[in-house]
Amino acid sequence: MPAALPNPTAQRTRRLLSALLQSLLTLALTLLGLLLVTFALSALSPVDRVLQIVGDHASQSTYDQVRHQLGLDRSLPVQFWHYLVNLAHGDLGTASATGQPVLHDLLAAFPATLELATLALIIGAVFGVVAGVLCARYAGSPWDFAVRTLTLLGNSVPIFWLGLLMLALFYAKLQWSPGPGRLDDIYQFTIEAKTGFALIDTWLSGDKEAFRNALSHLVLPVLLLAYYSLASITRLTRSACLSEMNKEYILLARAKGAGEMSILLRHVLPNIRGTLLTVIALAYTSMLEGAVLTETVFSWPGIGRYLTTALFAGDTAAIMGGTLLIGVCFVLINNLTDVLVRLTDPRVR
Amino acid sequence: MTRKLLPLFVLTALSASAYAATPPNTLVVAQGLDDIVSLDPAEANELSSIQTVPSLYQRLVQPDRNDPAKITPILAESWQADAAAKTLTIKLKSDAKFASGNPLRPEDVIFSYTRAVTLNKSPAFILNVLGWQPDNIASQLKKVDDHTLQLSWTADVSPAVALNILSTPIASIVDEKLVAANVKGSDFGNEWLKMHSAGSGAFKMRVYQPHQAIVLEANETSPTGAPKLKSVIIKNVPDPASRRLLIQQGDADVARDLGADQIDALQGKPGLQVLSIPSAEQNYLVFNTGNSTNPLLANPAFWEAARWLVDYNGITKDLLKGQYFVHQSFLPVGFPGALDNTPFKFDPAKAKEILAKAGIKDAHFTLDVENKPPFITIAQSMQASFAQGGVKVDLLPAAGSQVYARVRAKQHQAAIRLWIPDYFDAHSNASAFAYNDGKSSTVAGLNSWKIPELNKATLAAVAEPDTAKRLDLYKEMQEELQRHSPYVFIDQGKTQIVVRDNVKGYQQGLNADMVWYDRVTK
Repeated sequence: MPAALPNPTAQRTRRLLSALLQSLLTLALTLLGLLLVTFALSALSPVDRVLQIVGDHASQSTYDQVRHQLGLDRSLPVQFWHYLVNLAHGDLGTASATGQPVLHDLLAAFPATLELATLALIIGAVFGVVAGVLCARYAGSPWDFAVRTLTLLGNSVPIFWLGLLMLALFYAKLQWSPGPGRLDDIYQFTIEAKTGFALIDTWLSGDKEAFRNALSHLVLPVLLLAYYSLASITRLTRSACLSEMNKEYILLARAKGAGEMSILLRHVLPNIRGTLLTVIALAYTSMLEGAVLTETVFSWPGIGRYLTTALFAGDTAAIMGGTLLIGVCFVLINNLTDVLVRLTDPRVR
Repeated sequence: MTRKLLPLFVLTALSASAYAATPPNTLVVAQGLDDIVSLDPAEANELSSIQTVPSLYQRLVQPDRNDPAKITPILAESWQADAAAKTLTIKLKSDAKFASGNPLRPEDVIFSYTRAVTLNKSPAFILNVLGWQPDNIASQLKKVDDHTLQLSWTADVSPAVALNILSTPIASIVDEKLVAANVKGSDFGNEWLKMHSAGSGAFKMRVYQPHQAIVLEANETSPTGAPKLKSVIIKNVPDPASRRLLIQQGDADVARDLGADQIDALQGKPGLQVLSIPSAEQNYLVFNTGNSTNPLLANPAFWEAARWLVDYNGITKDLLKGQYFVHQSFLPVGFPGALDNTPFKFDPAKAKEILAKAGIKDAHFTLDVENKPPFITIAQSMQASFAQGGVKVDLLPAAGSQVYARVRAKQHQAAIRLWIPDYFDAHSNASAFAYNDGKSSTVAGLNSWKIPELNKATLAAVAEPDTAKRLDLYKEMQEELQRHSPYVFIDQGKTQIVVRDNVKGYQQGLNADMVWYDRVTK
């Protein structure tokens, strides 16, 4: 009697489950490693967390009391274990710099960064891809040269300097744009922060002026961040297009009489979508974690500035919480990109 | 999508025109707020919180804002001191009320002091000067009647010192009834008070968003009268260059913590005025006399030479651009009893002579310093000026808390440090620089300077009830430390604040807590 053939649906489900479990395990290990490294760096930092809180005039008894409250009188492995146990219960600890639960702080700060980074990414990706494709199409032309110079500036000029210049020009000199901050003072404390996203909150409030105000406050920081992401996206799109255009199938398309733009749009772009998605995802993650200077210059109360303040204060709970959030975002965006690449590119399925 | 988005952004940018105006009846202050740990008066000890707490809370007595050497009653109506019994009998203002509407009672005072001492947060050491500790505070505070209470203390301090200590922000009176409703466990309402207020100050807290803003709202029933403005918004603007743009454009009425370059750029600009207010902040160089790796640091001749190797004028006028002035004794100018003489100047030849006479050759030391202005600026100047006297200085720049930690562990050879008095009394500085009982973390103690005679002088001065005699004692101590100590007092700060010229009535004093918004109009 012939052996029964395995059920293909059950096999596929098993494979899917196994892949999911593997992904979850990888995610958990990645985050654990991230937490361990962050904790070790915080613990080995020469910053005295207690002195950061109590100052150098405080009495020894106050110093000892705060040291005990922070759990610093326990061994490092015990401290880390306690952190993990609390984390498993959804407790990220209390930030010594704000006196608030870290989760509360992160939920307040993250939407500000997410809003900024997402808008900047949309603009940067759209313009970056278009400019990159056009540069590849007209490689060596004055247009190509101009765009490459502009993107080179984006890759080399310090972002805080350009941010200050933009403020000095558009805010101070021309008065086209509002100053630093997410909203003018008259709206800042009257609009209820339901979601933490200024555009959504002002829209929900029904106050059109407030919405306009939120939008106008976003223009400069969004354009600044978009310019920086655009710079790298343009250059990578251009080089990916050019390297694809040297392949034989493009030569064949040309030989068959296809126009250059048609080749770029119908043949080259679909074949570099994997690269493009990865580049855009990387730009997004770097904006989520690295908008520190933009947030400082524009007084933007986002995650970058929250983490910087926590770092200077030696606030380990806040640093760990912020790092965890960014780590989760990083892993999620990368996994999402992988899924998108798999869905859109049959070669990697 | 691009076609739709681009015009939207451009249109928004181009059409946003009238930006330069702060709301009427509201004072907008741009400053850094990232240092705040808590706005509970029992815990507030950072510059930004110390500047804010006095707008929210009042104390029994406070230094007079025009003559800080004079103590004025605020929530107290009068007091009776008994130096021998070490007591103060205080009559409270009968009609005083908190912002909540609750009347002021002796119980509120007892609760406020008890919680401050028992919580033992960072500023608690100020109340510890009175001998108040968690285990004895209950016996030191007694209600006499509905408007009177008696305070006692165990330490040998005069009633004048006790009053000065009670005039500090940690001695702010909180509304017990309001706080009691928000107590969690044994926290005396500390967690709630970090974000809310329960005082009788000219303002009450409307919103506090950490790292973003503090919004204060007028307290119309404040015992010292309603403020002239309806609200104050203290905005966190972490970047000084952005603060400069905000004040320049009129989007802020007051800007603090601007660098010397920003102040320079704003001087003489139409619509703005730069206020230069002396502050009690001092910078000094100290040698760790107990550091056995470098015996030179305990040599009085080396201390003396060092005093002639600091380019005081170069540091204050050229490098720090007038944000500091030369000051060479441990009490800041403006404090009662402060010496304002400046006997030392940069004189490398004289320093060399002193070193040669003492047989000191190849002098060198490492200098711990915070890696930010003005400290690093002073250190770099010293490195150059000491070299002219034949003394090699190796700088060890680090973050502020690292420098504190090394000094606290007595690992430093020398350090440039900042000192701000904790309360408006000479004892605050004398007990730091001229007192070392071998146990406390005073400046003298952290630098292992053994001074039995000065210890006695410090204790005698703080116990002296006669004000004139007391000031004489501090003058003698300053003269002694000026000439024979491991300290080189370099300069005293000036707080430079930029205000719009329509802002009137802003007042700020010598100490960090002396910031008053209640009489501001615009």
